[in-house]
Amino acid sequence: MTTSTSTGTRHGAVAAEWTKLSSVRSTWWTALAGLLVMAASAGQLAIYAVNDNTNDDPTDDRGIVTVGSVLIDSVELTQYVVLALGLLAITAEFTSGTIRTTLQCTPSRGRVLLAKAAVAGAVTFALGLLLGGVGALVARPVLGEWGSAPAAGMIGDIVAVAAYLALVGVLALGLGAALRSAVLTLTVLLATLMIVPLSLQEPDIDVLNRIADVFPGVAGGHFLAGDTAPYPRLVGLLLLAGWAGAALLLGRAALRRRDA
Amino acid sequence: MITLRGLTKRFGSTVAVDALTVDIAPGRVTGFLGPNGAGKSTTMRMILGLDRPTAGQALVRGRAYRELRRPLHEVGALLDARAIHPARSGRAHLRAMAHSNGIPIRRVDEVLDTVGLDGRAAAKPGRTLSLGMGQRLGIAGALLGDPPVLMFDEPVNGLDPDGVRWVRQLMRSLADEGRTVFVSSHLMSEMQLTADQLVVIGRGRLLADEPIGEVIARGTVAVRVRSPHPDALAALAARLTAAGATVEAADRNELTVTGATADQVGDLAHELGVRLHELSAHAASLEQAFMELTADSVEYAGGPTGGGAR
Repeated sequence: MTTSTSTGTRHGAVAAEWTKLSSVRSTWWTALAGLLVMAASAGQLAIYAVNDNTNDDPTDDRGIVTVGSVLIDSVELTQYVVLALGLLAITAEFTSGTIRTTLQCTPSRGRVLLAKAAVAGAVTFALGLLLGGVGALVARPVLGEWGSAPAAGMIGDIVAVAAYLALVGVLALGLGAALRSAVLTLTVLLATLMIVPLSLQEPDIDVLNRIADVFPGVAGGHFLAGDTAPYPRLVGLLLLAGWAGAALLLGRAALRRRDA
Repeated sequence: MITLRGLTKRFGSTVAVDALTVDIAPGRVTGFLGPNGAGKSTTMRMILGLDRPTAGQALVRGRAYRELRRPLHEVGALLDARAIHPARSGRAHLRAMAHSNGIPIRRVDEVLDTVGLDGRAAAKPGRTLSLGMGQRLGIAGALLGDPPVLMFDEPVNGLDPDGVRWVRQLMRSLADEGRTVFVSSHLMSEMQLTADQLVVIGRGRLLADEPIGEVIARGTVAVRVRSPHPDALAALAARLTAAGATVEAADRNELTVTGATADQVGDLAHELGVRLHELSAHAASLEQAFMELTADSVEYAGGPTGGGAR
């Protein structure tokens, strides 16, 4: 009886979060913006790839790239639009004061965050699949003879892109719950996903590179690229998932401790 | 039933709520009165598990709010009518609330109907709602789970006279159905018309917890005296003051006397031969009674000291 009630409230909390996310127009604008950025980015990267390949001697390596690799590079930029979905799902509650209504409805802070993570994760995953498809549709014709698109590999890449975006979306959500302010959270995300690891990698010192490899963006990048070094692909995914989980725990602790 | 036991909240060195111990009983409207900044909203937030008490506890039907699984079935609350997402419609706001507590979605239309928000108003985005419509939406949210305990923080703010009358009747009928109704206000006149019981706080401290009639009865009774002869009236004032009463001259022809009964004032006037055009006793309004109760505890009385309301 207790378990069925608790399952019921969990489903209810998820349904409530979906209602909140889908009833706000900015969610759909964000998704549309993601699609446009993805299309533009994939198109541009595909053009670069073609321009790089001016070697006419067919005996040389012709440098054919896969459509999937263009997709993966496009995520670098597109992720900042997509993670806004996870971010706004919580920071908009603080700015509008609806966090009090949310916590009145569901007093368990952990349950609220899990429900938000489920919805934000599912939405960004689905959006990621769509973005991957759109990116491939744009990149394939632009690449022309310089591109290859093996079906299995590309589907794998699209699913990987979706998984990456879902985990980054949840990371943004957890950090947003801890930091409350959208601007502050976005700044911290830019730093952890890009600025700090880039600065660490710049001097090409082994120890610093090792540290950079643990950062979520870099770990996710290794996962997307299917690297075998510095660690297997799966470890990259788990590292990114670990960051997302840690951000959720941090957010839950902040929600529990602070007055709403 | 709401139970507060030594409920205390400090923000840094400021004590917002100071060891509040009160039982709020079902079946009547309990008014929660205090000047602005007295700690009313903080108390309500602690009851709802939003703010953590520094000490003591707040229980709803014997349980802490944070332990409740589907709290909307236990407690309905209107805290802040402005707390709506600017782009979300009122109906979507209520739907999300209903989903979270397993309340059937048709209940959303029922409560919208109860509070008098029609389909068009409920479809408008939050930023376009007037304060009055926000109050109605907030009340709809409080009623959603048909809870036995209801709390409203300043519910008549921003309502038109019809709306104010409607809120009064709603409180009354909710209490008559046997529910616990806890309403905060800084408007004494409003409480005089709605509440059965008064909980009065000032600077976070409990000043009174008693039936509204007793609060009024405790207030001073004033005697008004009018005479066409200012000089004679001045003589009467001097005698009354000498006898220990407090006399205020409203104008040359009128006095307000406290600390003496109408009988005593009349006898004295007769003795001095003062011609009177009026001699009347006035029970203090709740307003006055309240002012007296909280006179020492008004945080933001005029003057150079005092901070901003939280």
